[in-house]
This record gives sequence, structure tokens and C-alpha cells, in this order.
Amino acid sequence: MNKMLSARLQAAFGLLALVLLCACGGTAEEEVGARLILGAYTTPREAYSELIPIFQSRWESQGGQPVTFEESYLGSGAQSRAIIEGFEADVAALSLQADIERIAEAGLITHDWRAAPYGGMVSTSIVAFAVRSGNPLAIQDWADLARPGVEVLTPNPRTSGGAMWNILGLYGAALRGGVQGVPEGDEAAATEFLKAVLRNLSVMDKSARDSMTTFENGVGDVAITYENEVLVGQQAGQDYELVIPASTILIENPVALVDEYVDQHGVRPAAEAFVEFLFSAEAQEVFARHGLRSPDTGVAASTASLYPPVPDLFTITDQFGGWETATPGFFGDQGIFTQAIIEVQGE
Amino acid sequence: MIPPSYRARPASAAVPWGAWGLRAAAILYLGALVLVPLAVIVQDGLRQGLAGLWRAISLPIAWHALRLTFWTAAVMACINAVMGTLTSYVLVRYQFPGKRLLEAMVDLPLAIPTLVTGVMLVVLYGPQSPLGGWLESSFGWRVIFAPPGIVLALLFVTFPFVVRTVQPVLEDLDREQEDAAATLGAGAWTIFRRVTLPALSLSILSGALLSFSRAIGEFGAIVIVAGNIPLYSQTAAVYVLGEVESENRLGASAVSIVMLATSLGLVWLVDALHRRLVRR
Repeated sequence: MNKMLSARLQAAFGLLALVLLCACGGTAEEEVGARLILGAYTTPREAYSELIPIFQSRWESQGGQPVTFEESYLGSGAQSRAIIEGFEADVAALSLQADIERIAEAGLITHDWRAAPYGGMVSTSIVAFAVRSGNPLAIQDWADLARPGVEVLTPNPRTSGGAMWNILGLYGAALRGGVQGVPEGDEAAATEFLKAVLRNLSVMDKSARDSMTTFENGVGDVAITYENEVLVGQQAGQDYELVIPASTILIENPVALVDEYVDQHGVRPAAEAFVEFLFSAEAQEVFARHGLRSPDTGVAASTASLYPPVPDLFTITDQFGGWETATPGFFGDQGIFTQAIIEVQGE
Repeated sequence: MIPPSYRARPASAAVPWGAWGLRAAAILYLGALVLVPLAVIVQDGLRQGLAGLWRAISLPIAWHALRLTFWTAAVMACINAVMGTLTSYVLVRYQFPGKRLLEAMVDLPLAIPTLVTGVMLVVLYGPQSPLGGWLESSFGWRVIFAPPGIVLALLFVTFPFVVRTVQPVLEDLDREQEDAAATLGAGAWTIFRRVTLPALSLSILSGALLSFSRAIGEFGAIVIVAGNIPLYSQTAAVYVLGEVESENRLGASAVSIVMLATSLGLVWLVDALHRRLVRR
């Protein structure tokens, strides 16, 4: 008995030594090539775990030195601030343009990142709804969220930059005549509609993922969220359904190389190649498999069955004049959203 | 025989370097770890002077968050004062099977990550759970995603505070007075109320204040159970996170200063109470 145990132990130690030896050999080799640090938001984590090995083999087959990756995934705003405060990410992949712009304003991104294809937006999605299996409340469009007794979830736009998309999607749809009973262009009526939906709010989680977790735990009738969150949830076996409103906002996720850190690390060729690769049709198809719509028209056409076109799709720029005006106008102390929630809770 | 050189040391060696070094190390450590970060927050919150601080905390959402934090903590502290005293009384005065287990369980809430506490409470009392559903349909009580959920979470995370401050006092309490009262014909309740309770009152108060001060900063459990609707169920700690995320450092620091000052004041009060307790 004891003999057997010691034999096993010896085998285990032998194996361990072997593994360590291999690991050491591995790092020694890697040190020769470049190491890229990716600072990303959490949603595309699975997509990147597929994309990185593809890029590595492409890069090496084109004669590049082996490149290794260090990946960090955080909420978009937190990631952006971490990069400014010294987390030396070579490539930043975030959920909001404002989060990249903050890094640029801090002087760390010095090139014109918007000159990349699609204005630097590597993936897109839309604001949509998750509803219970079978859609028991027959929720079809924005107007249904204001019906009395419908329990609505959305994350808090103060804690989750991404949640601003939800509120802007709702308000923009109302302004564009996408909500029954709200005349096109009538801001007062759109604000009333926003208030009606806010009255139905039961939980405001701190992030989009937390909000979906709450919904998955059985709370609420409908969650305002992003199409990709619903699709990824369904891929993971959740039985909720996706409802796409007739009028909604296009979510755009930027990616940019962080010049300051790239030059410090001396990895510009590999970092540039990686960013370029993310915009290639091959990489775009990987994003599409993970719930994200492609800004590439070719890929969008080939995945149209998964991602039906939205009758009235608008962007933050054409509806609200960009984040510079939308953020203070809606979420500042005197913003439309802030004032609406004050009035609703004061009732 | 001890060699003479060991007996008489030169005068310079009498300087207690060790003791001074120890003191310096402790003060430096405390300063670097606690005082400097606190000073940064205070400086941050006062960037626009007292008027700016006041403007930041008098915003409706901030003001409501602070009020909600304080009243839920106050309700929790009252319940803790009663139930914590009861628990420690039972633990000290009675023998029963499973007492050791109960004793060990008192400190358990300190060991559990408060985020886990929050998740557990949602599973147990959430609207989708049998218990939560029954409470809501039969009594119209919504516990989770409403202020009662906050009180519940606070009760859980601060459970040991009153028990652990009252218990040692109760253990040291001279039982002769209680026995004398019993000989004079006082009932159990009268003895507890007139003899035991007055002796415990300071420790109950200091335990309750400590739990209040701990509750002000609670985040992990609350963010899960509260629902976080501004002006309804969003507490100060969750509000601060929102302001940090939205790059309103002033707003975040201003509310933090109020929370800090309250906690600090309470800790001082508890300290003063303890001194009185020891003097007795």
C-alpha cells in the first residue's frame, strides 16, 4: 500500500518537474517576442479568447516574432480610468467612445484613433429587451414598458456607462415617433414617457451584466439591455427571449492603440497589426458569433439571419449630437434623466 | 558569576531605541494606511470649499441616499441592541445543547464576504423565493429591492457587534446583586430590568453605535439587495460608486466626508463610553 503511494508520489513529482521545466522553457522563449497588454471591457471576453490565438498564428506565419498576450477585463469606465492611472495597456477595447476619448485627453493616445475603419468602432450592437420565455406579457415595443404592472430592469447610468445607451435608446425612440402616443419631436411627451417607464423600475444594478444576472434570477418582466447580452445568455442556455423594438439606438464599441504605452514597451508593429486584424472580416465573423453586430457590410450581410435589420436605427451622433452633449444633457445634475427620476420618486 | 561588563551598561545604551522605534513604526503605519487616504478624501471633498461640499450633499439624490443610509442603520442598531443583548444573555446565563455551536456562529457574519450575504438574502427573501413571494402576496411586504432588505442585510453583517461587547461585561457581572434581589422577592423580569440591564447599558450602547458606524459604509451586501433606485433604495455607499464612475469626484468625496465624519464621531463616542465603563 505504502509502496504504491510513494510510487505515485514519485510519478507526480516527476510530472510536476517536467511541467515546470516546460513552463520555464516557454517563458524564456516568449521573452524574445513581444508581449501585448489588452485592456478591455467585459462583454467581448469570449470573443477575444478566440481572436487572440488566431492573431498569434497569423502574425507568426507572416514572419513576426511570437507574441504573447496579457488580458484584463473590467467595466468600461473602470478600465479606462485604470489605463489613465498607469495600467499599461497597449490596446484598449472599450464599450463607449467617451472612455477612449478620456484616455486620449490624458495624452496617452496621440494618433487619430477615429481614422481607423468604421471610425474606430470594432463592433456594434443595439439596445433591445430580454423578456421571459414565451413573452407572457406580449412585450413588443417601447410603449409596452410603460404599461402599469410591468416590472422593468435597467442598470444605473451613473454606475454603468453602458446603461446610458438604454435611456438614450428609449428617449430617442420616443422623440422619433417610435412610441405610440408620443408625437414625433415632442420633448415634453418623451420625458413623460421616460417617467412612466421609470415608475416601473424595480432594480437598478451597477452594471449591465449584474442587471442580466438579476433578471436571470427571476426578477422583473423585461430587462432593457443590449442585443449581445441576450444572445450570449441564450448561447449559455438561458431561456429568455430577445425582443427588438422597431426604433432603437446603435451601440458602437471602439478600440484603439495606446501610443504612450506601446512606445514604452516597443511593441508598435505587433499592436498595430493586432488592431488592424480586429477589423478584418475574419475577426468580425468571430465577434458576430459572440452576439455582436459587425460594422463591416460584407459580414453584416452574411450574418443578417442572426441579426435582423432594425426598421429605424439611429446613432448617438445623429439623434443627440454625440456624447459631449448627451452625457450632461441627460445624466448631469440638471439632466433629463436625473430630473425625471427625482420627479418620479417624489410622487 | 555574571561578568561585570554585563551588569553596568554605558548610559547611552539606556535610550530605549526599541520602544521608540516601535512607536514610530506604529504611527507611521497608521498614518500611511489610514490617515493619508482619509486626508486625500477630505481634501478632495473640500476642493470647492464648504459651500461646494454643501452643494454636493444637498443634491436631492445625494441627500436622500444619506438619509436612507442613516435611518436604515438606526433601525438596525435598535434591533441589534435588543436582540444582541438577548443573545449574549442566553449565551452567558444558560446551558443548552448546541451552545458551543451557537457561540461559534455569532462571528460567522464577519467571515462571510458581504456580497455573498447579499446573494444569499436575495435567494431567501427575493420576490421569486417562496418566503419572499409569500410575504409579498400575504402582507404586501416587499423585503428585497426595498429599504427593509437594507435593514436585513445590515442586521446580518453587524450581528456580532452588540453580542461581543455585551458578553464580556455580562460574564464579569457580580451576581450577588441579582441574588439579593431574588431573595427580596423580585421576579426574573424585574431583576433583569432593574439590576442587570443598568449594568449593561453602556456596553449595549457602545455595541449598537459600533454596529451603526460599521453599517454606514456597507456596500457589498446592499448593492445586491437594495435595488438601488435613486431617491428610494439607493444608499450613500452605492451613490458614491455612481459618482466615482461618472467622474464626479467632488460629489463622491463630499458624501464620503459626511459618512466618515459620522463614523469617526461615533467611534469617539464609543471610546469615551468604554473609558467610563472601565472606570466603573
